[in-house]
Amino acid sequence: MSAAPPDNDVLWARGIVKSHHGTPALRGISIGVREGEVLAVTGPRGSGKSTLLGCLSALLPVDKGEVWFNSAPVHTLGRAGRERLRRDRFGFVGSEPHLVPELTARENVALPLLLAGAGNKAAYTAADEWLERLDVGEVARQRPERLVRSQCQRIAVARALAPLPPVVFADDPTAPLHREASDQVLRILTSAARSHQLTLVLATHDPELVRFADRAVALVDGRLTAPAAPVPRGTAAPGTASASAVSATRR
Amino acid sequence: MFYLRLARGYRVPDLGRWLLTTLAAAVVAAFLLRSLGRAMSDPLGGEDALERLLWCLPPLAAVAWFAAVTARAVPAQQPERITGLRAAGAGSGGVRTLIAGEVALACALGSVLTLLAFLVLRNDIAGPTLAPDLGMGVPLPAAAPVTLLALVPLTAGIAAACAVPLDETLPGGRTRAHGPTGFGAWRIALPVGLSVIGLALELIALRPGAAVDDRPIHLPAGLGTTSTAAFGGWAASALGLALLTGPLLSWTGRLLALGRPTPLRLLAGRGLTAQARRLGPPLAVLTLALAMVLTTIRYWIGTPDSADALPAIEACLVLGCAAAAVAVRLTEVRTDRRGVTDALLRLGTSPRLLFGAVALRTLAVGTTLLVTGGATAALAAAGLR
Repeated sequence: MSAAPPDNDVLWARGIVKSHHGTPALRGISIGVREGEVLAVTGPRGSGKSTLLGCLSALLPVDKGEVWFNSAPVHTLGRAGRERLRRDRFGFVGSEPHLVPELTARENVALPLLLAGAGNKAAYTAADEWLERLDVGEVARQRPERLVRSQCQRIAVARALAPLPPVVFADDPTAPLHREASDQVLRILTSAARSHQLTLVLATHDPELVRFADRAVALVDGRLTAPAAPVPRGTAAPGTASASAVSATRR
Repeated sequence: MFYLRLARGYRVPDLGRWLLTTLAAAVVAAFLLRSLGRAMSDPLGGEDALERLLWCLPPLAAVAWFAAVTARAVPAQQPERITGLRAAGAGSGGVRTLIAGEVALACALGSVLTLLAFLVLRNDIAGPTLAPDLGMGVPLPAAAPVTLLALVPLTAGIAAACAVPLDETLPGGRTRAHGPTGFGAWRIALPVGLSVIGLALELIALRPGAAVDDRPIHLPAGLGTTSTAAFGGWAASALGLALLTGPLLSWTGRLLALGRPTPLRLLAGRGLTAQARRLGPPLAVLTLALAMVLTTIRYWIGTPDSADALPAIEACLVLGCAAAAVAVRLTEVRTDRRGVTDALLRLGTSPRLLFGAVALRTLAVGTTLLVTGGATAALAAAGLR
């Protein structure tokens, strides 16, 4: 059906097309994410960064194209399979913290671990550790409604990192933060990724933040403008072909 | 008038809300007109007329309660519409007027329909059984029905206007609506005190050696008579238990998440604690109404010739409004928590776990309400004996 993905790519997509209620968001994107790298996806608002991260992180089903994770197809998975994949393999930080309001900070951070079946003690120990590391240890027993947004965002980062997932997706994680706090959060994200051999896919509208990444790709109107992954020559063609097909049908 | 054009975008839930409000208002208007008709037929009926009018208060209160709960739910259920209105320049006053006006209009419609039916029936159509209820043969003073019927839309409209959330918590405002989740000390002390005092009063009144007094209180709905202490005791404890429902739900949630909770217990328990403030009042009203109705039915079954049709209709109306209010509040909470549910699903929580949490929460709520409602009903039944 398709060529096997390159071995060193933990996440690999070919020719993905996705539209929201008829509005095209991705018009044929081929991208590979190498294991342990920090990949920045830049682009202005509405360029399809969030959709790309959603498709790669198995949150959104793709309309067309393929997504592979660790040489296993993601695009063919059903809803339950995608849920399991997200829970066990992926971490996600959005531009909004999206914490569960009735849970305390440490319960929020421990929740993914508990959901994955970790013991209570292990889950809360890990949660406390990560909260300390992100400078929000002193509010561990408070609920998010009493905290300011930058604290909530740090808790969200801790929640994504605590289970040490192989891949962490960060979709504009610094949007609610001031420059200083945003630098710190990104430093923690990237250093955690490097020290634990995690792969980090970071979407940002701020081109300056690319300095935290190993490699950057740029998205404009649902298309990659910078050469992204070392996608094999033979497989790049269908992606562009499907993109032009989409634009052709729209005209 | 411009606001009314928004009705063109209404879907089934909105229309259902309108229809329910109209129906309930029509029934209340029927009660009001009946008391008017009776007052006109009776030659100088003094206390009875007033009593009949007072009997219209529970259904009126039920309609106002339903209107208030639905008005509160509108911004949460249709955030896009409210955001759009505010973006177009409508202040919180405008939004409030719109929501209250809708409710008042629906109530006015129901009242007018009932008035029409009343006037048609007065034209010698109704048989002799209905004649005294309609005040047939007596000229109708025009101001009386208008005054009475204005009561329903006014009451419901004011209740709705008061219930619309404050400016900054409306969608499109700056802060999100996350009210406090706990209960203050007085909010717990007051209902506990009321319940204890009421229970003590009733126990004293019903103690085996108590003198059988002349049971001066005449209960409505064919429930016979009871003693002052028993009635006062029951009323105090019922009010206390109703006020205690919220804190009890909150504690039930804490109990669920006690110790080292699994994710299921954690989500169910903490969720219940967080929502206790919002779920408490409508559930308490429904429980109280249900307890009273069930006690009455039990009494009616046990005592021949005590059943009465009008209280039964009234009970249906009150129960319907209370149940609809609970349903509205539940959907409000659900839509309000859509973001949290999405976040949980994004974390990889299985829908089955979320469903299980809801089921567990429902079970816990049901148990709590069974306790408070059962206690209220038992106290009422004891007082009736």
